[in-house]
Amino acid sequence: MRSNSRSVFALAAAVALALAVSACGDDDSTTSSGAAAVPEEFAPPTEAPSDAADGGELTVLAAGDIDYMDPGAAYYQFTFMVTNAGHRTLLTWAPEDTEEPTPDGAEDFPEVSDDDQTLTFTIRDGMKFAPPVDREITSADYKYAIERALLPGVANGYAAYLSDIVGFEDAQKQAGDNPTAGAPDIAGITTPDDKTLEIKLDKPSSYVVTQALSLPISAPVPEEYAKEFDAENPSTYGDHVVFSGPYMVENNADGELTGYTSGREIKMIRNPNWDRDTDFRPAYLDSIDIAEGFDDPASASRKVLSGDAEVNGDFVPPPNVLKEAATESDPGQLTLTPSGGNRYIALNTAIPPFNDINIRKAVIATADREALRNTRGGELVGPVATHYIPPEFPGFEEAGGIEGDPSLDFLANPNGDADLAASYMKKAGYDSGKCEGDCKITMVGDDISPGKDTAEVFRGQLEELGFNVEFRPVAHDIMYTRFCSVPDQEPEVCPNVGWLKDFNDAQSMLQITFSGDSIDPENNSNWPQLDVAEINKAIADATLINDPDERAQAWGEIDTQISAQAPAVPWVWDNQANIKSADVLGVVNKFNANWDLSFTSLPQG
Amino acid sequence: MLRYIVRRLLWALVMLVLVSAVVFAIFNIFPTADPATLRAGRSASPDQIQIIRESLGLDDPKLTQFGRYLEGVFTPISSQAPDVDGPMDLGESIFQNNTPVKEIILDRLPATIFLVTGAMILWMLIAIPVGIISAVRSRSLLDRTTMITSLAFISAPVFWLGLVALYLFASDVGVIHIFPGIGSYSEATTFWGKVESMLLPWMVLAAATAAIYARYVRSQMIEVMSEDYIRTARAKGLSERRVILKHALRSALTPIVTLLGLDVGLLLAGNAILTETVFNIPGVGQETANAIGQSDLPLIQGIVLFGAFFIVIFNLFVDILYAYLDPRVRYQ
Repeated sequence: MRSNSRSVFALAAAVALALAVSACGDDDSTTSSGAAAVPEEFAPPTEAPSDAADGGELTVLAAGDIDYMDPGAAYYQFTFMVTNAGHRTLLTWAPEDTEEPTPDGAEDFPEVSDDDQTLTFTIRDGMKFAPPVDREITSADYKYAIERALLPGVANGYAAYLSDIVGFEDAQKQAGDNPTAGAPDIAGITTPDDKTLEIKLDKPSSYVVTQALSLPISAPVPEEYAKEFDAENPSTYGDHVVFSGPYMVENNADGELTGYTSGREIKMIRNPNWDRDTDFRPAYLDSIDIAEGFDDPASASRKVLSGDAEVNGDFVPPPNVLKEAATESDPGQLTLTPSGGNRYIALNTAIPPFNDINIRKAVIATADREALRNTRGGELVGPVATHYIPPEFPGFEEAGGIEGDPSLDFLANPNGDADLAASYMKKAGYDSGKCEGDCKITMVGDDISPGKDTAEVFRGQLEELGFNVEFRPVAHDIMYTRFCSVPDQEPEVCPNVGWLKDFNDAQSMLQITFSGDSIDPENNSNWPQLDVAEINKAIADATLINDPDERAQAWGEIDTQISAQAPAVPWVWDNQANIKSADVLGVVNKFNANWDLSFTSLPQG
Repeated sequence: MLRYIVRRLLWALVMLVLVSAVVFAIFNIFPTADPATLRAGRSASPDQIQIIRESLGLDDPKLTQFGRYLEGVFTPISSQAPDVDGPMDLGESIFQNNTPVKEIILDRLPATIFLVTGAMILWMLIAIPVGIISAVRSRSLLDRTTMITSLAFISAPVFWLGLVALYLFASDVGVIHIFPGIGSYSEATTFWGKVESMLLPWMVLAAATAAIYARYVRSQMIEVMSEDYIRTARAKGLSERRVILKHALRSALTPIVTLLGLDVGLLLAGNAILTETVFNIPGVGQETANAIGQSDLPLIQGIVLFGAFFIVIFNLFVDILYAYLDPRVRYQ
């Protein structure tokens, strides 16, 4: 998903990233997991207090807007704050969930056939759509929701995880050939009755399909209501979304969202048709006002910290305010949550000089990753990364945890090791331990801070190894869509890339980013262009593992294999900083690394 | 006069077509982020991107795309195809729920007009008296004080001045709670509530501009006051007050009006970007900042074209106003 920046791609500038935090506080104690290096006093609360009560209006301050109100298109961390409170997806992520989701629209996890190729969901009783649809939700609403996501006018960004469903590609082609003819039929999705949704797969990939269905693509959509909007390209259902969760955006009798003004406000109220008995969400708040346009994060953060009943939405406090929040605010006003994202510097393995693994190892060995992290703010930004699966993720410990694999000496020292780097350069044929001859390389990175700062610091580190670096700073999206994500145009170094999970499974972290089979001529996210047959096969095999423990083990090993190939310089696993007013009884959703609006409450009486 | 206005209007139309061409070229020919890729998302395959590219018409020849763009912008409603939302159909935003660009701009325009109008009144109310007094009492202590003060305001970046004003005087993050805080414009539900919420932004936006105008008025007044007809007016026994306000000021204001027309046009076109951003005023400037941050090319393109429209219109308005202010100016 997109993180809390406005860039579509990798988190980069994004990923909550902002995480721009100053290195404040010396306490290096960690959470009970011991994995995330989040100081204890900033650990995110995941349960409402026992005396939490109904009532009140919470204000969420945001800089920008959600990406799409249409759940079929929503693909942005901030948007998920809204969709999680407004929709009953088949599965969803409760505040404390980190390894597997919780059944929501489905009564339970799907029944999986012995061959792992058929998933059967039973739809929960008693769920109704909000006005103006006002009817019980059936399995057909889930089928339609998934099918309409293939329409070009909806443009779902992660439907590819469902591509193993029988008939998926035919349906996609059908939608592409005629984008205004309505949602295509996916043959592998059937509804034997109103309460049963059956999904047949071409391959035994039930695990990842199940996880993908925890995202808003499985928010129910009533076909009889939505089809007229879906007959347009782009679909206008986003202006008329019908909700199913505890909250809905204010609308009129025709279903038009009167409570949503793009870039200005989203007004959420209770869904009168929501039945608390059918849901695990307590939904304490009476209403939620998402006030957008707070573009200056410093003043917006101060407003939250000094105000009443306010939390941050899509921005994070800048370093100076974060320091204030960490040292001067009431306990609990600042929380840090592992975002499920990483940042790394991609070395193009397809062309010289980085097609030589020893040169790549030398570059990683010489890199001062703490210095790179300081360009984002320092210690609280997150731990220095030693591999790619982030903390609190299945496979993280199997890949070596915070320390990483001890056999990978070039990743051992976060401050860099010049002697080790020189030894690898010698192995690459440079007797002096530094690059000699034609050492010119090109680096394309961000043109604004903090990404530009990261690139500049790394340029200095490369020059210490004798490279002559030509740095071309460009706008973040241009960096991706014109250079780093286009293999033909890709420079030797892309210093500002990174990845934010789609869901809590290592496949969503490693497959697109490091499998040679994922290299595409455009929109390529395997930025190092790593194409190692052994790793490609291991990834392909691991996608079909459905036992959680075996899966974590397999992906952890793949992570180590990738790290051993030295395709990039991993330098941080991001934490997400969230702030609230002192009176807010905030609950963080660890999956989304943001406030959970269905669990957060305000003191009453 | 009528012929002149018609001729200027036609030139304005030509100018807008040229601006459209330049804007289109900037965002469609020179390297920018790819809208289809942005819309498709990071996990989309090349095939999916191609489907979106086709559905957006981005695979058509550039000239075809430009023709379609012009058609959307300029075709009268009556002769348009059903899917053209004109006139001024500027396409849809990539990120804001596919909302039509025109709708976004029109939604944002009232706040910008309110901000600019209030600030303009304020800066003119400050600049004209200060400029006159400085000119009349040139080289006096008062003149030097006001000119040095104005220099200080000119030197202060608007965003810095805005943040300082907020941290000093805003009711939410300020030290002294005098003025409504960040985002209060959106929260205000009455006209007077909105006026109150704009007081601080008006002052901040007006401060630097008033300083520039004061210096400009001063220099114009000093020049005009040395003209022969001013001496004649004095010789005829007119009061100094009448000489200054009736004869000198009117003439001195003519070039100021030119400047004012350009400045107001630019501000309405989105140049109040920093003030709107700092105070969270949902205007065109803030939308410009958002659109640039998101690489929302249709929206950026639409705002630029809309801005050009304002600048052209205000230039025309200024030219016409000339005739009224300065009887020496006559149009053929």
